Amino acid sequence: MRGGDDMPAAAIEGGVRQSVAHDSAPLHVSGRARYVDDIPVPAGTLEAYIAQSDIAHGRIVRLDLSAVRAAPGVVDVLTARDIPGRNNVGPVLADDPVFADGEVHFMGQPVFAVIARDIAAARAAASRAVIEYERLPAILTVDEALAAKSHVLEPAEMRRGDAASALKAARHRLEGRIYIGGQDHFYLEGQVALAIPGDGGDMLVHSSTQHPSEVQHLVAGVLGLADHAVTVEVRRMGGGFGGKETQPALFAAIAALGAWRTGCAVKLRLDRDDDMIMTGKRHDFRIDYDVGFDDTGRIVALELMQAARCGYSADLSGAIADRAMFHADNAYYLENVHITSYRCRTNTVSNTAFRGFGGPQGMVGMERIIDHIARHLNLDPLTVRRRNFYDRDGRDITPYGMRVRDNVIRSIVDELAERAGYERRRKEIEGFNAASPVIKRGLALTPVKFGISFTTTHLNQAGALLHLYADGSLHLNHGGTEMGQGLFTKVAQIVAEELQVDIGRIRITATNTGKVPNTSATAASSGSDLNGKAAQNAARKIKGRLIDFAARHFGCTAEQVRFLPNRVVAGNHAVSFDELANLAYLARVPLSATGFYRTPKIHYDRKAARGRPFYYFAYGAAISEVEIDTLTGENRVRRVDILHDVGRSLNPALDRGQIEGGFIQGMGWLTMEELCWSDDGRLLTHAPSTYKIPACGDRPDILNIDLLDNENSENAVHRSKAVGEPPLMLAISVLSALNDAVAAANPKAPLLDAPATPERILMTLNDGGGC
Amino acid sequence: MAEYCRPAELGEALDLLAGGGWRILAGGTDLYPANAARDRLPGAVLDITGLDGLDGIGKQDGFWRIGAATRWSSLIGADLPPAFDGLKQAAAQIGAVQVQNMATIGGNLCNASPAADGVPVLLGLDARIEMASARGYREMPLAEFITGVRRTALAPDEIVTAVRIPDPGPAARSHFLKLGTRSYLVISIAMVHVMLIADPPGRVADARIAIGACSPVACRLSALERELIGHPFDTSLADRVREEHFAPLSPIDDVRATAAYRLEAAREMTRRAIAAIVAGGGRR
Amino acid sequence: MPTVTMTVNGKQVSADIDPRTLLADFIRVNLDLTGTHIGCDTSQCGACTILVNGDAVKSCTMLAVQADGAEVTTIEGLAENGEMHPMQAAFKEHHGLQCGFCTPGMVMSAIDLVKRHPNPDEATIREELDGNICRCTGYHNIVKAVKAAADATGG
Repeated sequence: MRGGDDMPAAAIEGGVRQSVAHDSAPLHVSGRARYVDDIPVPAGTLEAYIAQSDIAHGRIVRLDLSAVRAAPGVVDVLTARDIPGRNNVGPVLADDPVFADGEVHFMGQPVFAVIARDIAAARAAASRAVIEYERLPAILTVDEALAAKSHVLEPAEMRRGDAASALKAARHRLEGRIYIGGQDHFYLEGQVALAIPGDGGDMLVHSSTQHPSEVQHLVAGVLGLADHAVTVEVRRMGGGFGGKETQPALFAAIAALGAWRTGCAVKLRLDRDDDMIMTGKRHDFRIDYDVGFDDTGRIVALELMQAARCGYSADLSGAIADRAMFHADNAYYLENVHITSYRCRTNTVSNTAFRGFGGPQGMVGMERIIDHIARHLNLDPLTVRRRNFYDRDGRDITPYGMRVRDNVIRSIVDELAERAGYERRRKEIEGFNAASPVIKRGLALTPVKFGISFTTTHLNQAGALLHLYADGSLHLNHGGTEMGQGLFTKVAQIVAEELQVDIGRIRITATNTGKVPNTSATAASSGSDLNGKAAQNAARKIKGRLIDFAARHFGCTAEQVRFLPNRVVAGNHAVSFDELANLAYLARVPLSATGFYRTPKIHYDRKAARGRPFYYFAYGAAISEVEIDTLTGENRVRRVDILHDVGRSLNPALDRGQIEGGFIQGMGWLTMEELCWSDDGRLLTHAPSTYKIPACGDRPDILNIDLLDNENSENAVHRSKAVGEPPLMLAISVLSALNDAVAAANPKAPLLDAPATPERILMTLNDGGGC
Repeated sequence: MAEYCRPAELGEALDLLAGGGWRILAGGTDLYPANAARDRLPGAVLDITGLDGLDGIGKQDGFWRIGAATRWSSLIGADLPPAFDGLKQAAAQIGAVQVQNMATIGGNLCNASPAADGVPVLLGLDARIEMASARGYREMPLAEFITGVRRTALAPDEIVTAVRIPDPGPAARSHFLKLGTRSYLVISIAMVHVMLIADPPGRVADARIAIGACSPVACRLSALERELIGHPFDTSLADRVREEHFAPLSPIDDVRATAAYRLEAAREMTRRAIAAIVAGGGRR
Repeated sequence: MPTVTMTVNGKQVSADIDPRTLLADFIRVNLDLTGTHIGCDTSQCGACTILVNGDAVKSCTMLAVQADGAEVTTIEGLAENGEMHPMQAAFKEHHGLQCGFCTPGMVMSAIDLVKRHPNPDEATIREELDGNICRCTGYHNIVKAVKAAADATGG
C-alpha cells in the first residue's frame, strides 16, 4: 500500500479513554475463562489438605501422624521437618512458618499437610492425627494486647506542632474512642495453587496471587532452591482485594513441597470455611482521640492513638499501620497533631492487606472525630468538615510534611453538594424525621483523599515485555496481575494507543515470573500507574526502532514518520502497521522489548516520619442518605451520590466499576460484615451463612456516580489516577449518615462503632449516655 | 456414603427404612451445608424425592394436605386462601430461589433447626404431621413433633409424608416477618407469624401467634392470643402487645445476635405483623 | 458404584460414580465443564448455579445421582450455533462482571429469573438475584444487564 498521507484516519478500536469491555468478558460469560482450579491437570495429580491447630496458643507436646500416613489414599504427609529450605513464608519478617514447629500461635495455623489421591482421602486421613498440646495463655483482642504491651512491631509516632499544649489551650476539648471491625475479603475464588514439577528440579506453580514474584521467592526458599528454579504463573484471579497479596504463598509453598517430594503435580484448594479460618483479614482497630477545637469547629490540636490487631505475625502490618497514620488526617489540616500507632500481637490469624490497606481505618477515625465535634457544637457535620479542609494558605502540609498540591477537595465537595442537593435534602430530612416517630433518616457527606504509591519506596517499580510479531500482532506481558479490576484491558489500551493499532491485535498474556522478573504486588491501587507506564515504555522502544527503520527504508526523516490508526505514514509512503512489522523483520530489526518504570519524586524517612511517600493523591466525595428503623435497628441506604477523581480516565466503564464495587464493599465493611470470635480464639463467622457480605438487594436504591473532570497534575500514565482503593472509603459516608439518623432519634445516643449492624444500631439508640 | 437409594414407591422406601441405617434425603439443602464436603456425607442415603405422590397440595375433609416433598417454590406458586399468605411470605424468604427450588416443606420440619422458617408458620396454622413406616401411619401436632433443637419425634424407620392443616376458613388472615442482618438470604434472628380471624361485628374471633428463633423450638404466645381475642379488630389491636406476653421465649446469645436484641425485635415485629393484618383488612 | 445418566447441554452422558459425588463435582471433574464454579461449598454464594429441568439450583447442594434422568444446562450449554445467549451478551455488553468468578452462576440464575418474570422491574431483579453473591461489581451493572436481556428477548 503506497500513497499519500491524506487517507481517512479512523480512530483505533480500544485506545485510551474508551469504555472497552473487560478483555475476558467473552470468556467469563461463556464459562471458558480458566481459573487455577479449572486448569487441566497432569495425570496422577494429587490433592493436599492442611491440618490446623485447634487451639489459639500452645506447645505441641505430641504429634503422632502414623495413622495419617497409613490411611487409604495417602501418598505423603508434610511437617516442618520435611522442609528442605526455610520454614517461612513471611513477606517482610521471617515470622510466618509454613508449618508450626513446636508452638502454635493461632487457631487455624497449619500443623501438617496430607498429600493424597484426592481431597476426600486427604481430609479423612488428617482426622486420624494425634496432637497433644500444652496450652499457653492467649491474647485475643486489641485491648488485651495493649494492656500486655504485646506487639508484632515497635510502636510508631508521627507528630507536628505541640499537640499537648494546644489541647490545653483549646476552647473545646473532646475525648472519644471507636472500635472498627475487621473484614474478610470473601473473594469468590478461594485460595488455590497447582504445583507441577518439571525437569531437573524446576517447579511451575499456578497460583491465584496478586504477587507472583513473592510467591516465587518464598516457594524457592521453602524448597531450598534459587529463585530461577521456580516459575509462578497467574492468568486471572477470582477476586483478590488484598487477600491474595501475601496469603497465597503459604498454599503455593505447601503444594510445591508436596510436588517436590512426590514428583507428582499437587493441587491445593481451600474450601470456604478453611479459607476464612486460615487467611488474614482487614485489621480491626481501636482508635482513641483527644481533640481540641474552636467555636467554629476548627481543629486546633489532636492527640490520636491507633491500635491495630495484627494477629500472630508481622505480615504487612507495619506498612498497613503506617498507612493508617498517613490517612489519620483524611482531608483535613491538622496543625498540632501527635499520632501513636500500636501494632498489636494477638493469638489470632495474621491480618493482612485489604483494599485501602489501613487507610480506611485511619479515615474512619478522623471522620468520627468530625462527627463528634459537630454533635458537640450542634453544627451540621458538613460545616465542620469544610472548616477543616486542606487549603492553600499554608494549611496544605500533611502531618508527615508532604504538600497537598492538586488540592481539589473543596471543589469536589462543593460541586457534589450542589449537584446532589445537600442543603435541600438536609431540610427535607429534618421535616421527615419530625413527622416520623419510628423511621428516621440521616444524611452525610464525607470526602476522601488517598495517597497513591507504595509507601515502601522500592516497591514502586514495574516491568513489561512486548513482542511484535512479523504479522503485526503483538504479545503483551507485564508484572501486574488481573483480579477483575480490568488492569490487563487498561494496559492493552495504553499499548494500542502508543502504537495506534486496534486492541484486538494485542494478545494479553498471563503474568509469569519467567517473562517479567522482580515485580511488585498488584496492590496499592498502582497496577495501571506502574505497569501501564512500563508497557508504554516497551511500546515506545519498539516504536522508536520502527520509526528509525521506516525513515531509513522510505528515505525520510524520523520526524516524517507518523503512526496513524493501524497504519504508518513515512514521508510520501504509507503502509499498514502489519506490513511495516514484516518489513522491519526482514530488515533484521529487533521487535521485542522490555519496558521499565519507576515512580519519580517519592521519598520517605520512616524514622523521622517525614517525606513525600505519595506521588499524588486521589480524591472523591460521597453523600449517603440512610433510613433506620428505630425499633429493630434495621437500616437501608436510600440514595448515594458520588463524585470521584480518576484524573483523565483510561477507561470510564472500568473506573465506574471500581468506584461502585469499592463503595459497596466499604458499605458492607461498615454496616453488615461482622467477624466474631469465641472466647478461646475460634473464628465463629467462617462461612457465608454467618458472615454477610452485601447481596443484590442491599445495594442503595439510588446510586449516582460521576467522574470528576480533572487531569492528574503529575505525569501519571495519560494523566489518569489510580482507582482501585480510594472508592472504598467513600462508604464512610454511610456510617456518618447512620450516626446522623441515630441522633435524630436520640440526640444523647453515643456515636456508632463499626460495623453498624442492626443490632448495634438498636443498642446504641437505647444507650442514653454521652459519646 | 456406602449406599444411595432412590425408590419410586413409598412401600419400598419404608421397607428399606425398616432395615435401619439410613439417612433420609429430600431437597438436601440443609444436609450438604452441614456436611461441607463429600467425605463428611452420611453412610447410607435414602432419597425420597423420587417417591410417587409425596409432593403436591390438596384439600380433603376440612384439611389442607401438603405433601412432605413439596418444594417451597411450588408452594409459593400454589393457589391457596389468604390464611396461607404468611406461609408464602416465609417460603419466599427461605434461602434464595435456587434453594426454594430444591428444599422441601418436610425437610424444613425434620431438620428442626430453631431458625427453620417454616416452623413458626405451621405452628401458627395448627399443622399436624403425618408419618409413615412399615408399621403404618400415625399423625401428631407439629408442637409435639419437634421435641428440641434438631430433634423430632420421628422414629428411625419413619418418614414424614405430609403436613395437614385444618382449614382456617376464608376469613383468616396471616402475616410473616423475619429479621436478619441484611435484606435477603439471611438465617433468621427472629421470626413472627400471626394469624387472625375477625368475626362479622369486627372483633378478633381467633388469634394465633408464633415466634421462631427465640427459643430452642418455635413457640406460640398463648397469653397474647387470649389477650387479643374479643377485642376490636382495629388499629388499636397492636397496642395490646405487652412485654409479659413474651415470657415463653428464651432467646440465646450467638454469633448472629444477642438474646436481648432477639427479644426486643420479636416484640416489635409482633406488633407490626398484627398491624399489617389489620391494615390489610380482616375481611376482603 | 451406581450409574447415572443425564442429559447435559443436550448431550446424554453416563458414568459410574461414587454416590457421594456432588453434581457440581460431576460436572467439573467428570464432564470437564469448568465454567460452573465452586465459591463457598455450602450452597450460599450461587457460583455453582445450573439449570436442572429448567429450574435454577445450586449444584453443590445436589448429588449427581439425584440428577439421574434429568435435563441439565450449564453455562457452556447456552450458546447456540456459536451465538451467545442474550443473557450472556448482555452481561458482556453492560460490564456486568469484573473477576468473572460469579458470572456463570449469575447468568444461569438470571435466565431462570426472566423465565419466571418475563418483564422484571429493577426491584424484582434485585430480590430474585439474592441467591448469587458478587464481591466485585456492587451489582449495578448486573441488574442493568438482566434488565437489558429481558427487554431484548421481548419478554
